[in-house]
Amino acid sequence: MKRRSTNRRNFLRLGIAAGATALIASGGSVLSAISAPENKETGEKIKLLTPDGKLVEVDKGHVCCQPAGNLEARQGLPDKKMVMVIDLAKCRNARKCLQGCQKMHHLPPHMEWIKFYLLRDSEEMSPYWFPKPCLHCNNPPCVKVCPVGATFKRTDGIVLIDNDRCIGCKFCMAACPYSSRVFNWEEPKLDKGVDAAAYSPETSSPPKMGTVSKCDFCPDMVRKGELPNCVKSCPNGVFYYGDRNEDAVTNGTDTVRFSELIDTRAAYRFMEELGTEPSVYYLPAVDRAFDYKEGFEGLSEEEITLYKKEANITE
Amino acid sequence: MYEDEKTQQNLYAFKPQLEKMSNWGIALIVVLVTVIGFGVYALYIQIVDGHIVTGMRDNVVWGLYIVNFIFFIGISYAGALISGILHLLRVPWRTPIIRMAEMITVISTMIGPAYILLCIGRLDRLPNLLLFGRIQSPIIWDVIAITTYLSGSIIFLYLAMIRDLSILRDNPVKNARWRNPIYKFLSVRYKDTTKQKEILNVSTDLLSIVIIPLAILVHSVLAWIFGMTLRPGWHSTIFAPYFVIAAVYSGTGVLIVVMWVFRKIYHLEAQITKIHFNYLGIIMIILGALYGYFTFSEYLTSWYGSIKWDMEVLYRLFNPHEYLALFVFAVFVGVLLPIIIVTVPKFRNINSIAFAAAIAVLALWIKRYLIIIPTLESPLLPLHDLRPEYVKYSATWVEWALTFAGIALFILLFYLFSKFIPIMPIVRTGEEKDYSRLRKIVFEKQMKKVIKHHNKSDAAVTGMMILLLLSFTPSLMAQDDSKIQPLLKLEYFHIDSVNKLAATLKAKVDGKFLPLEDMEIAFKYSQGGNLTVMNISTTNDKGRASFDIPEEIIASGGDKGVYLFEASFAGKGNYESATGRNSMKPLRLELSFSQKEGGKMANLKAFESGPDNQWIPVENLDVVFYVPRTFSLLKVGQASVVNGAASVEFPTSVPGNQLGYLTLLAKVEDNETYGNVEASGTINWGKPLPADKILKRGLGDTNAPLWMVYTLIVLLSLVWFHYMYVIYTVFRIRYLGKS
Ligand code: SF4
Ligand code: SF4
Repeated sequence: MKRRSTNRRNFLRLGIAAGATALIASGGSVLSAISAPENKETGEKIKLLTPDGKLVEVDKGHVCCQPAGNLEARQGLPDKKMVMVIDLAKCRNARKCLQGCQKMHHLPPHMEWIKFYLLRDSEEMSPYWFPKPCLHCNNPPCVKVCPVGATFKRTDGIVLIDNDRCIGCKFCMAACPYSSRVFNWEEPKLDKGVDAAAYSPETSSPPKMGTVSKCDFCPDMVRKGELPNCVKSCPNGVFYYGDRNEDAVTNGTDTVRFSELIDTRAAYRFMEELGTEPSVYYLPAVDRAFDYKEGFEGLSEEEITLYKKEANITE
Repeated sequence: MYEDEKTQQNLYAFKPQLEKMSNWGIALIVVLVTVIGFGVYALYIQIVDGHIVTGMRDNVVWGLYIVNFIFFIGISYAGALISGILHLLRVPWRTPIIRMAEMITVISTMIGPAYILLCIGRLDRLPNLLLFGRIQSPIIWDVIAITTYLSGSIIFLYLAMIRDLSILRDNPVKNARWRNPIYKFLSVRYKDTTKQKEILNVSTDLLSIVIIPLAILVHSVLAWIFGMTLRPGWHSTIFAPYFVIAAVYSGTGVLIVVMWVFRKIYHLEAQITKIHFNYLGIIMIILGALYGYFTFSEYLTSWYGSIKWDMEVLYRLFNPHEYLALFVFAVFVGVLLPIIIVTVPKFRNINSIAFAAAIAVLALWIKRYLIIIPTLESPLLPLHDLRPEYVKYSATWVEWALTFAGIALFILLFYLFSKFIPIMPIVRTGEEKDYSRLRKIVFEKQMKKVIKHHNKSDAAVTGMMILLLLSFTPSLMAQDDSKIQPLLKLEYFHIDSVNKLAATLKAKVDGKFLPLEDMEIAFKYSQGGNLTVMNISTTNDKGRASFDIPEEIIASGGDKGVYLFEASFAGKGNYESATGRNSMKPLRLELSFSQKEGGKMANLKAFESGPDNQWIPVENLDVVFYVPRTFSLLKVGQASVVNGAASVEFPTSVPGNQLGYLTLLAKVEDNETYGNVEASGTINWGKPLPADKILKRGLGDTNAPLWMVYTLIVLLSLVWFHYMYVIYTVFRIRYLGKS
């Protein structure tokens, strides 16, 4: 048993260490068609690059799809450094990313891991929509203050929560300057099957009463070589996600060099002056694809009024 | 021993308190226990139903509990600082009040931390603090500091009690069957011999020296829980001293109130005199003035600097519809009123000073509320929430019940304790003068009870869970009966010498193309007009089915080198049948790498199948080069094949693995003649990844910085060494008492 799991890990290391995972991607999204059932031989072979440049073939079931255990989840995927780039010029507050996220993580409608703000830096400037997941700070205030190490920063840059360890002191919530964390104030109402699933900090599921949760950057999806649901759900390609070590990010349609994107589009990190060093980069809302008013579509009167108040819009 | 007249008088005065309990006393206990019982019930509800029963929510994550926590730890200062400093300075009038001060310390240091436990969502996981404690976390500092402080305070209180315990041992108390043996045990054979006296005095002095910096540290650590966060109104360097001053201020206030109460109920007019009230009153207003000064300095600085977020908190405090009234009370009334009462001789008497102290205590409780809640209600990003209880904190009955339970427990413990040991030292050590003659009691009108009624109604928790998650998968039960014509796309792939067909089935529903899952697709091969079914497979959630073309079909040579394939869907439910076709001419790509003076090149050769099973160079073809990344392919170049060959510069700036190995992919995409064909090659020309770069996580790391560990060890061992020494001296006293 032990040997098997070591093997699995080796494969994992082999595969993902290689930086250039597999040619799963190569047949493109096209042939990865057959989705692998979890934890078993799928019969589907994928190619991995060994550190010394040889291509080997392994069963897909060996390298992915099993949610990591509580300790394994602390490690981080080898040689990766996940980053996100959010293109504010294309966001129109469609909130599809949130819906995708809530669906994938079985969240109740009021639990928002991605929040939407209508920001306006000063009165002469025009408002812009600002979707905000957890920024996975490189100097995360939330991680610093946790008394039991229930929230932690991994080598791949992802900040996760171990809901089996969290004592629910909420200190991290007070410490996060970006209001990224939410609390399970009551017993979560879960669908059958979700509550019975094995817990993994990488899936953040099933959630537990009296503990915190937040956007987890979907490391379970990264393991499978798949994009997080927010990226996939956005109709406007606002979210780019990828590995900085590979210097590539993708929004599902376009794949671009990360360094070039943040350079040519003058990316910035939100409230950089706090010294939190976020892993999420924002592209300023220049040459916008939408008028900010389109973002009011489908919102209640009450919410529109609130947004207008927050952005100091008087008309 | 202790034959002096004063001690005998005291014994005579205080023993009855220990011997009987009045009916009022019993009634008081019943009331207190009821209040506490209600609090326990509230706690039970909170544990079973979760913190949803409190007013705390995602923004205001802490509420009354943390306010009470700071408040109780604050008043614990009475003992530590007041009695410690008065003791060290040998202030002569301290004796009658010193025990009360220490009892306040011990009891409130026991109750305070209970409130922080109430903030914890998972009490069952408290052992994690020991199992996984990280000393970078101010909460762990707090846990360590408070336990140390509590231990020290208990030892200090005990040392000061030894003399009295020995008297009670020698003059057994009536109706105290189980108490007398305890007195005997705790009095450690103390007989007031010269040696024992000396040891006891040294130990008491030592401990009062240790406890003062410790007390300062405890409240600083408490302030740092807030000061260390990046929150407006909290992230301030002044916080630690500010908390310390506010704490001593409230501690002195509580001490005065307690003195007043016990003076009344135990008729201690002879022992606790106006002198005590006057002197403590003066100490209190000095502290009050300091507190006012700190407050002014804090708010002036943030108002003058006017950083956006600080202003938001200030705006709340100064807003008449939010906190202005409380702010005025906590800052102006709470400072100025005591100063006026104590400094103007006309107003100064025992009752008015006690009243001023009560106002100060109340003001300080409110000040803590104003430190915690408005800041949490003003996050850096707008608090965008439509649920009122998430925007504005209002404590629920559960929180109030537990708040009152804490106060009741404080009074109860105090009362019971005063039944166990006299409320003030019996033994006069001869240091102090007799102040009883100075007594001149002016009975004022009954003190008006000031009950500040917080008009906080219980937050009604309204369920907002009506919205259902929007489903992404299309409903197969389309509403209208008209049939839908799906689209079937058939593509050919040649990847790593495997020939594949992939069919994608999609249908337009509500103006959007959505994949059709679980549909049967038949893959067919056409030769000379005859269609043969090769395989039937079902589509997945992406509407896709694929099939590997057997070698023998390729080997058959097709129709003059061109192969015709077809995929068909027979129709199901509302979906009509559909067909997709694809013709393909085999294409072979070969990728190789070469290094010339010009640089590192990737060279591609392309051949198509010609007559007689020969491979001939392709005339004209567009090829795109990619590098596979975790989620997708990164395009790094493109070229046109001319006369069967093309070359591009190798993308050396793209990161490969640690050794620089990078896979390059050449693809012909959706070509009308050749379909999708690709070739790949791997070479160590990429940018090598820096091997296992250690991520610097600073304080976020699992391990604490060494200086922090050392500081903690040094501080703790210093303090605990003293405790150990003092405990050792207690044993020594016991040993010396043998002879
Ligand atoms: S955004 Fe907040 S929760 Fe996320 S890593 Fe930064 S501090 Fe932590
Ligand atoms: S609430 Fe949980 S994760 Fe957050 S600081 Fe407390 S123990 Fe750590």
